[in-house]
Amino acid sequence: MEFSLLGAVLVAVVAVWAVLRFEAGRTNAADCSRDLWDALLLAGIVGLAVGRVVAMLRDGTNPITTPGDLLIVRSGVDTAGASAAALLTFGWTMRRALWWMADAAAAAALAGLAGWHAGCLVRESACLGTPTDLPWALTQAGSPVGRHPVELYAALLLALAAVGFVLWKRFARPPAGVLGSLAIAVAAGSRLATEPMRPSLGSGPVWLYAAGLVAGVGLAGWRWLRPAVVRT
Amino acid sequence: MRRIAVLVVALAVAATACGPSGAVDVTDIPPLPETTAEEVRTLLATSERPVVLNIWASWCGPCRSEAPLLRRAHRRHGDEIRFVGVDVRDAQDEARAFLAEFDLDFEHYFDRPGEVQRELGGIGVPQTLFYAPGGDLVFHHNGVIDERTLALQIDELLRTG
Repeated sequence: MEFSLLGAVLVAVVAVWAVLRFEAGRTNAADCSRDLWDALLLAGIVGLAVGRVVAMLRDGTNPITTPGDLLIVRSGVDTAGASAAALLTFGWTMRRALWWMADAAAAAALAGLAGWHAGCLVRESACLGTPTDLPWALTQAGSPVGRHPVELYAALLLALAAVGFVLWKRFARPPAGVLGSLAIAVAAGSRLATEPMRPSLGSGPVWLYAAGLVAGVGLAGWRWLRPAVVRT
Repeated sequence: MRRIAVLVVALAVAATACGPSGAVDVTDIPPLPETTAEEVRTLLATSERPVVLNIWASWCGPCRSEAPLLRRAHRRHGDEIRFVGVDVRDAQDEARAFLAEFDLDFEHYFDRPGEVQRELGGIGVPQTLFYAPGGDLVFHHNGVIDERTLALQIDELLRTG
């Protein structure tokens, strides 16, 4: 039995919690942390469940007749389904102040994703990507093949973005909705940049990452030019 | 609330319609040849191609769950790598139904007492073992395998095997 997936989830949850706690009263309102925590956790759980169901349907497995397979998350989670479900869940739970809450959650969400990728360190071979001769290449035990620590690249990109978002909020708060939108672009962009270095049995959903990047940047531009206003 | 209920029912109906691929008729699947641990060791030692050996059973939920992944891996790398399945502690009819349901068209053997599983190490099913040509074990994965691990270990086999 190996617990690498569980370990990665744990690192992700701790990262979200730590950033929300750090931001409370500093760059976020002190009283919104609990709502953000609930919404992010719910979005993660719903995203995981929907992503798993979509992956089962894609593989020709009926989730109604074999509901137990829903729990075997390691067999695959559809990224498109999971992302859409997580974003919709967050949007629905935070619909009364969506853009402001999206900004407040942006750094924590990116930190959570960074934690999820860094969780590969629980089982080092889970970090490995395509072969490389670079000096920081990692190898699998007993193998001479050096490989990109691709999950650590993704974790680093996301963590740097999370830190950048916190600093941006601290020193020059952008219009409502910009950070939340850019978080989508960063999450998609980090996957788009690292996807070619991931071993896979087919091409990953590169179209989804490209679409996410464009949509995130587009939304950010729109919110920058037409700032959201509080409706009374 | 009513809208959510309608949505749930619609999704359930849609999901029910998306049954397993079932591309193969079970009557087209011949009974699986019986094997022993010794025979499997010989197969591994004499194989000129690297081998991905999957130990499975039709009653095992995680085996069902990883079966589509193995099908995909075999379709992609079947020319370079020999995929072998060993069905353990199972019944022939159920095993054939499993193969038909998931259209796993690589070679499979039947090991009712589970001797292969015991001899090659590891506890429970599924297990996936990766062998270089000549039978040297490169990697042993216990439990349900994910796409990343499968793809990575296949790449290792192709580069080092």
